[in-house]
Amino acid sequence: MELALKIVINGLTSSSVYILMALGFTLIFGIMRIVNFAHGELYMIAAFIVYVLVGSFGWNYYLVVLIAAVAVGLFGATLERVLFRPFIGKELNGMIMALAISITLQATAFIIFGTDEHSVPRPISGVIQLGFLMVPRDRLAVGLFALVILGAFYVFMRYTRAGLAMRAVVQDEEIASIHGVRPRVIHPLAFGIGAMLAGFAGALMAPIYTVYPYMGSQPMLKAFIVVILGGLGSVPGAVLGGIILGLTESVFATLINTTVATMVSFGIVVVILLVMPTGLLGRSTR
Amino acid sequence: MRVATKGTLVSVLSAASFIWAGGAAAQSDTLKIGVVSALSGPGSEWGLAQDGAIKIAAAEVNEKGGLVVGGKSYKVEVISYDDQYKAALAVTAATRLIEQDKVKFIVGPMGSASTLAVKPLFEKNKVLAIIGAYSEKALDANTRYSFRGFPTQVEFVAPIVEWLKKNKPELKTVAELEPNDETGWFSQKLLKQNYEGAGFTIVSSELFERSLKDFQPVLTRILATKPDIIELGTTPPGTAGLVIRQARELGFKGQFVKIGGPGAPQIVAAAGKEFAEGLLCYAAADTTTKNFKDLEAKYAKVLKPPMNEFTVYFYDAARMMFDAIQAAGTVEDTDKVAAALEKAGPYTGLQGPIRWGGMKSYGTNHQILTPTFIGMIKNGEQVIIGRMD
Repeated sequence: MELALKIVINGLTSSSVYILMALGFTLIFGIMRIVNFAHGELYMIAAFIVYVLVGSFGWNYYLVVLIAAVAVGLFGATLERVLFRPFIGKELNGMIMALAISITLQATAFIIFGTDEHSVPRPISGVIQLGFLMVPRDRLAVGLFALVILGAFYVFMRYTRAGLAMRAVVQDEEIASIHGVRPRVIHPLAFGIGAMLAGFAGALMAPIYTVYPYMGSQPMLKAFIVVILGGLGSVPGAVLGGIILGLTESVFATLINTTVATMVSFGIVVVILLVMPTGLLGRSTR
Repeated sequence: MRVATKGTLVSVLSAASFIWAGGAAAQSDTLKIGVVSALSGPGSEWGLAQDGAIKIAAAEVNEKGGLVVGGKSYKVEVISYDDQYKAALAVTAATRLIEQDKVKFIVGPMGSASTLAVKPLFEKNKVLAIIGAYSEKALDANTRYSFRGFPTQVEFVAPIVEWLKKNKPELKTVAELEPNDETGWFSQKLLKQNYEGAGFTIVSSELFERSLKDFQPVLTRILATKPDIIELGTTPPGTAGLVIRQARELGFKGQFVKIGGPGAPQIVAAAGKEFAEGLLCYAAADTTTKNFKDLEAKYAKVLKPPMNEFTVYFYDAARMMFDAIQAAGTVEDTDKVAAALEKAGPYTGLQGPIRWGGMKSYGTNHQILTPTFIGMIKNGEQVIIGRMD
């Protein structure tokens, strides 16, 4: 029972970050049909902003999380305007552009910060004792922050005009245009919000792990698995996929080992692609 | 005009031949030492330790007027090439040093893959090299010209495990955690042999992918075996810090030990001061000594600080190489220099007595044997608590 609860808690804390990453990734694909392979580097940039402002200048961590997320969001919107706009709807070209941006951003971080892994002072430390369970406070805090951000994202998408317009573009851009939705406004907004979600994930995880130029690769890979599971372009699918991936990894990594956990994660992706090519919820929302 | 031209031509030719002769004479009085190592990118802190060490040793020799060999004085020139810790680049650099720069002595590489790739070149071209590399394959009975300038786990695991047995008798069970690659597999096997040989019980042997940052699932499984010690072996310092922090957060109250590559500052930074407290680890050098601090000052004159602890080893090895060249009386015949290096008796290194050995482990006495240090993290700093000569 104790082990089972630990597995579930570990799985759900991982899931919350996977979902944050995957939501932005799937939102960008859903609206612009661009597989943004530079998504991991947006996560990395936010983590480095936290490293510099909190670690070097001693700014307030919570304020810096907001600054980092907004800065990465603006950077994302700029990327869309300057580099991605010509490739909207052209999946292959957009993917190559995203790869080029990813490598360039990694190299830039490498030149500026070197390859060393940097640590960020933790705003929260210690554990909370829940009966026989010990839950690290910082992870619990990340899980709660992620829930709040996801809630805000849900409200934005469900109840605001911009959110409604985005969902309309996801379903059919041409029909949405006929009804007055302006894709030229929606595209940078969606890219900016997607990037901001990655920024939140990177800023929240910076004190928990270490910060280095290639730190975005793993979260990017996880986001990719999550959206394949949930359905590329599906927002509810990203949430479901994140929970499935987090729990699957936790179960297999705890009971067997991390190599088997990774193997099983990809095994599930293979099965889903064969049996349900559009993912678990891909068809119903597109 | 014609006469003048002819005269001018003769003058120019005379001057050129004089300069050529002078240049040739100057060239013959220069001893070139090559460096092939990681001077940028991952692992460059270790590569720069090799580069800095030979540059300091060369500067010292040059300050004294050069290296006197067979009654002739040689200015030492260091030619460094970056292999970025990559075997292919190491082969290119070593080939260039041997064929273009005509060097007979090289320091490096540091990476195992690079070393294994260039070693055949060294042996074939009779180039005497002070190599790095943790791989046990870097030295064998057929190794003639390569000498390993720093100790590996083969040298320091046994004395540290013995120290633990003697000084921490309450610790009886060990869980091992290592990276899932050749370095980790070898380290795990070696540590298991030594711990079990000393009477400890291995209760868990785990491997992880180097990209892993979330160790909670692995640690949950390890903690279920209730180990007294979590041995981190060759886990990179930053990652080791994350493991320590996450294990403490999951309630582990036992002893952390790391008998692998050094890196206390990175461990403390990633774990946090309170969680890193009490970690026992292999320490490459006693950084509080005057000798170490003097070397740091010299390093700052040749390369940008901070100086990695490994610099001490390669500085000593470089000085031993210069002594061997002088003893052999030649800068050309590396057979004689290698023989002189093999015969070199106990040497006074910066940290104590050092010598060449390793016949039992490798089939050749080309392994440097140095004092072993045990460090403990106290209040965020590494303190040397044990030393075995």
